[in-house]
Amino acid sequence: MPTTTRFARLRPRATWPLAALLAAASVPAHALPSFARQTGDDCAACHIGAFGPQLTPHGMKFKMGGYTDSNGKNDSLPVSAMLVESWFHTKKDQPPADGPNNKALLQEASLFLAGRLGEHVGSFAQGTWSDTGRRKFTMDNVDVRYTNTLQLAGKDTVLGLSFNNNPTVTDPFNTVPAWRFPYMATEMAPGPAASPIIDGALAGQVGGLAAYGLWNDSVYAELGGYRTMGRSFLENVNVLAPGDNLDKINGVAPYWRVGYFQDLHKSAWHVGMFGFDPNLKPGGVAGPTDKYRDIGVDASYQFLGTRKHVFALNTAYIHEKRKFDASFDSTCTTPDAPCSQSGNVNRFDLSGSYHYDQTWGVTAGMFGVKGSADSGLYSGVSVLNKPDSDGYILQADWTPLGKENSWGAPWANLRLGLQYTGYTKFNGSKNNYDGTGRNASDNNTLYAFAWAAF
Amino acid sequence: MSHNPTTQLLRLLPLALLLAAPLAHAADAGHGAQVFAEECAECHSASPGKNKKGPSLFAVAGHVAGGVPDYVYSDAMKHSGITWTADKLDAYIAAPRKTVPGCKMKYDGLDNAGARADLIEFLNNTH
Ligand code: HEC
Repeated sequence: MPTTTRFARLRPRATWPLAALLAAASVPAHALPSFARQTGDDCAACHIGAFGPQLTPHGMKFKMGGYTDSNGKNDSLPVSAMLVESWFHTKKDQPPADGPNNKALLQEASLFLAGRLGEHVGSFAQGTWSDTGRRKFTMDNVDVRYTNTLQLAGKDTVLGLSFNNNPTVTDPFNTVPAWRFPYMATEMAPGPAASPIIDGALAGQVGGLAAYGLWNDSVYAELGGYRTMGRSFLENVNVLAPGDNLDKINGVAPYWRVGYFQDLHKSAWHVGMFGFDPNLKPGGVAGPTDKYRDIGVDASYQFLGTRKHVFALNTAYIHEKRKFDASFDSTCTTPDAPCSQSGNVNRFDLSGSYHYDQTWGVTAGMFGVKGSADSGLYSGVSVLNKPDSDGYILQADWTPLGKENSWGAPWANLRLGLQYTGYTKFNGSKNNYDGTGRNASDNNTLYAFAWAAF
Repeated sequence: MSHNPTTQLLRLLPLALLLAAPLAHAADAGHGAQVFAEECAECHSASPGKNKKGPSLFAVAGHVAGGVPDYVYSDAMKHSGITWTADKLDAYIAAPRKTVPGCKMKYDGLDNAGARADLIEFLNNTH
């Protein structure tokens, strides 16, 4: 699955770090009733379809304001909870070692410290228990902010600092890896072998400080730096299990983002660019590093009108250049190690959604991964030694609550969804991509979820 | 009498204008409700007692600014001394920051005068 792929990136190492798997798995987040209690706004004011995380311009501004806006009373507790119960079916079973099929699971049970902690300080911090992972309460997305507003060149300016653990989790737009469609997906089904590293591979393992600004409600810029957190800390918060591999960022990896945004109330749009440049020490070992250079362009459009009919379009293209100075093996004899010193992988996502009455929604998305062939990196998963994968995702959902006069507002919200992911190409080809006769479409997956937030 | 259809239409024109004129100027609360949903509802409810990021606008017309008892206003709004007459509402909706400098309503203003008139008519009807 694109966002929550268990194989967000085929790593040039034999051991897959569980951290990346878990963290990436739980990246999609969340309409938070604690935000609604704090602001008095209904979920639908900030979220398209009255359920998180797809943000309206109002929600984007709330996020850029550091989760601090309130109705002035400041008497609500910044605590929320979330439950996701789900079921999935993949057309053809995977080899049993890779995972089960046709399974119902308590996919996520999360607690959030989410909302205003002070006049200038707000947080979105999530801890998650999952039946799909190690069945431990795990540190999930964390984004703690300090913000202030001032006048710059005569215009309103929001300046903020964010401490967070996932590059792109800070972003206000619905296009970047941490926040793009699908907003909820199964991490149990097979996913393509590769994606740019910014696509969740380091989520949860890194800590970063980012400074950002929104000028005149239109120009957004962010600059951050990430380091890998310490192993003992990551083990304490259950992101890593003892013995898991941990690649470490050498020094500080820069993350940057620029965007131009227009909120026209009846509609809104943005265009932007972003990038992330980590140099990794495989296994944390000093010496040469594997270098990733990610650059993305993205754009979005929303038609909001009276909120009766809401349309949204989101798209992003990410290009990654890789240089495996540390892990490449030109003799091609080390299992899973890249045979070429350099390569690339590119990813395209496009999705369009329609919501009626902030309740009934349909979304169609397509994605494509294309990259250079490598007979080491992709051996065993692709007979052509290529990561190229293409597919589509269709989703229908129903969100009966979350409106101004909904039952239970602002205490409860619920979304029921049905999602289908189809592959037209998987790890290089349409048919027999792995050499054992498995076809791309054998990975087509039907997924149903009940998602509740309190 | 001419039976030229154009001439006939032309003869009806003053009548049409006469009928259309009040229509064009009469504020349309139905359209105002739409404008409210498009421009204001993310921050305001028109139901009594329902405060969001902004105070409930139920029965705001004719009342003193800063008057919703359990909403926390900015000092600027609380001490503005404004009574929300149609004129004041119109000025505020067109340019919130100019009309009440220092107010905390982060809204850039609604330029369309007809839409403002309809919106105010809608607000007038909430009581
Ligand atoms: C981004 C949120 C936001 C939007 C959008 C918004 N408002 Fe406000 N509004 C506020 C806030 C916050 C206040 C309180 C201002 C203060 O205390 O300084 C307010 C105050 C007001 C008041 C004064 C109420 C009183 O009790 O004195 C009126 C009238 C008003 N808004 C009308 C509107 C109208 C009409 C629209 C749509 C055209 C609108 N607002 C759009 C946030 C908003």
